[in-house]
Amino acid sequence: MLLMKNVQKSFRTELVETHALRDFNLQVKDGDFVSVTGPSGSGKTTFLNIAGLLETYTSGQYFLDGQDVSALTDRQRSRLRNEKIGFIFQSFNLIPDLNLYDNVDVPLRYRGFGTAERHQRITQSLERVGLANRMKHLPSQLSGGQQQRVAIARALAGEPRFLLADEPTGNLDSQMAQSVMALLKEINRQGTTIVMVTHDPELASQTARTVIVKDGRICSSDLPDPIPAVSNQ
Amino acid sequence: MSQLEIGPILRALLRNKVGALLIALQMAVTMTIIVNAVFIITERAALMQRESGLDEDNTFYLTSTGFGANFESRRVISEDLDLIRNTPGVVDAVQINAIPISGGGWSMSLTTEPGDDVEDVGTANYLVDDHALTTLNANLIAGEPFTASEVRWRARNQPDWPDTAIITRALANSLFPDTPWQETVGKTIYIGDDEPVIIKGIIEKLQAPWIGWENLEHAMLSPERMDTVSARYLIRTEPGDLNTMMATLEATLSDRYPDRIIRDVTTLTDTRERSYRHHSAMIKILSLVMVLLVVITAMGIVGLASFNVNRRRKQIGTRRALGASKAAIIRYFLLENWLISTAGIALGVILTVGLNMALIEWFSVRPLDWYYLPAGIIVFWIIGQLAALGPALKAAKVPPAVATRTI
Repeated sequence: MLLMKNVQKSFRTELVETHALRDFNLQVKDGDFVSVTGPSGSGKTTFLNIAGLLETYTSGQYFLDGQDVSALTDRQRSRLRNEKIGFIFQSFNLIPDLNLYDNVDVPLRYRGFGTAERHQRITQSLERVGLANRMKHLPSQLSGGQQQRVAIARALAGEPRFLLADEPTGNLDSQMAQSVMALLKEINRQGTTIVMVTHDPELASQTARTVIVKDGRICSSDLPDPIPAVSNQ
Repeated sequence: MSQLEIGPILRALLRNKVGALLIALQMAVTMTIIVNAVFIITERAALMQRESGLDEDNTFYLTSTGFGANFESRRVISEDLDLIRNTPGVVDAVQINAIPISGGGWSMSLTTEPGDDVEDVGTANYLVDDHALTTLNANLIAGEPFTASEVRWRARNQPDWPDTAIITRALANSLFPDTPWQETVGKTIYIGDDEPVIIKGIIEKLQAPWIGWENLEHAMLSPERMDTVSARYLIRTEPGDLNTMMATLEATLSDRYPDRIIRDVTTLTDTRERSYRHHSAMIKILSLVMVLLVVITAMGIVGLASFNVNRRRKQIGTRRALGASKAAIIRYFLLENWLISTAGIALGVILTVGLNMALIEWFSVRPLDWYYLPAGIIVFWIIGQLAALGPALKAAKVPPAVATRTI
């Protein structure tokens, strides 16, 4: 599903070169629920951005669903994000001027689905997170937990191969956090691969596998998988 | 089509309508003023393009004013005209009472039947001799020119008119609307209610002195020289000799008789420029207003679009993360601007027609030609899209990674 081999990400300024990721090797298989954790500045978000094709890497290899993403154009990366990845953000990132229906509709329009199919997918995904009866509400009319559920519905509507969650409970109280976590586990049980970045060990412990990142490297990974040899195709 | 987010954009605009409403109103007002201004400018420019009939580039005039009890005006005028006409570089010259398009002259009412209760037609009157057609560049299209023998002297305050006249085709058509102009030669018309004058010839074109007059194309030539101490000579020169002839003849005529002065040596080009000055000033002012309005409106659009881009950086990053290509982001902002512009333009069309109706009522302008509205709509769509393009391109540069940043 997701395979990173010796991925490096560095930022160069006039005076210094900062390595955000170095020799980053990770494999996530179909159906996994992996938490990526580590202290602030460890490289978690950089990993998430690269995994989600939100930014490029300096060197190494990254295969998403078997496809080498290094040579993709911006348009191809946008397409791949839209089709294969569902994003869940810490701040929910709902569009405040759009109601829940239109918010969930955003990635579906980029996919080019027709009106009827979009309507069906929006309705189903909002039903899945228990908010189908509030689809005409604005995000500001919902609690934080409900907003994150809408974000999850938006991520699921396109039926992506895997979800990338960036501190999905970071802005929620513990009760809402558990509710969202329970929803993610349910989604994972139904077959969606999830990679969740979190700094919360308690949340990380609830996933099937935890990867700890420190100074841009993976320093610990339970249930490690041997990384297969890959070649550029 | 599904990527055209018209519905969501409209719903979002309705929730944040103040900025969009102000821009739409600005666009509507700008369109209203500009479409009407362009129409007025086009009308004025067309007025300025009207031809007087004269060879304006090669024609000038001057005034000879004699003084002293012994000044023999008839002799001086005759000798002056002989001298001018025989000067190399001069095509021809006449003494004339008024200069076309100059703003000052004589006018009379003509009728086709005697009597004061007959509907009359106004005309400008030019008192000229048998050299008039060449000097005025007038093309005789029917009848005969004046002969030297029929030219009379007209004394100061003499009320009667010569027996014959040459008139313009436009005047012939107005006097005899049911008769072909070729057949009006030989017909009798009446000047001053009951004095008969026979139409001797028809000239193609000659304008009256007053450019704002509804009968600008009505002119009548009478075969007579004025016995006056202050005579105006209209002189047509060979192409390229105008400036030389102006200097030469002013000096020659001045030297010829010490008891007169030569003044007001003026070209027809200057006369036209002076007569149409308020039109050209109006065009310049309206053009300046148009440019300012377009710039202000475009800046307003750029400002609102830039503000929206900056305010929505996180949203743009999120859209990119959710699969929007750069082209989709550009399309989003251009579409949003197009919707705002279209609302403004729709209101602008109504206001444009309303202002035109008011101008018709207040200033008797012509109704707007229909094609100004679709042209205005297209131009303002283009202005709106061009103004929004910069901010839209800036929005497309927002990286998708902005979506995961907490600030």
